Amino acid sequence: MTNFILSGMKYFLIVFATITTIRLLLGPSASDRLVAMNVLSSIALALLILWGVTTKNVLYLDVALVYDIFGFLGFLAITRFLKNTKDKL
Amino acid sequence: MMIKEVVALIFFIIGSAFGIVGMIGLFRFKDPYSRLHAGSLCGTTTVFSYLIALLILSPSIAITSRIVILIIFFLISAPTGSSIVSKFIWESEEAEDQRRSMQKEDKSL
Repeated sequence: MTNFILSGMKYFLIVFATITTIRLLLGPSASDRLVAMNVLSSIALALLILWGVTTKNVLYLDVALVYDIFGFLGFLAITRFLKNTKDKL
Repeated sequence: MMIKEVVALIFFIIGSAFGIVGMIGLFRFKDPYSRLHAGSLCGTTTVFSYLIALLILSPSIAITSRIVILIIFFLISAPTGSSIVSKFIWESEEAEDQRRSMQKEDKSL
């Protein structure tokens, strides 16, 4: 039963990630792309934790914590960088 | 043993329901703001309910404690990320034109 839930989660997250990347590629303006990137970073975090739980390896969870911290900082930097360009991405 | 899995299954179903709705919203809405609403709804809620399901299913105490810390930090960083994006959209190029066109019709803005 638990393996069923874990693999179900894995497939759902993979489907969400592909749909969000499609949104990322399609998005007309930079703001849609940032929205998609925000969702993608949370989905990547969920995938990391899920992989940590399935393989019962504690290392992935530490990686997930560091990923969350630096992902957030990187996200701040990207929005700061995009602020003054003329939205020509 | 069964109760734990049933509760985890419930959270899993809730999370995937929110995810599917969020994904549909991400494509249906025309405006970056409503896309941000749908996207952050689907991103934060889905991942949060998955984390709770994983918290219930976690095999050892070490993993459980780490997941609790991760949940706390995720709840801090994800919504702030969304608010940063909304601030960026508000200052970006086309939001200015939108506001100018809105100002012509309605003086209150």
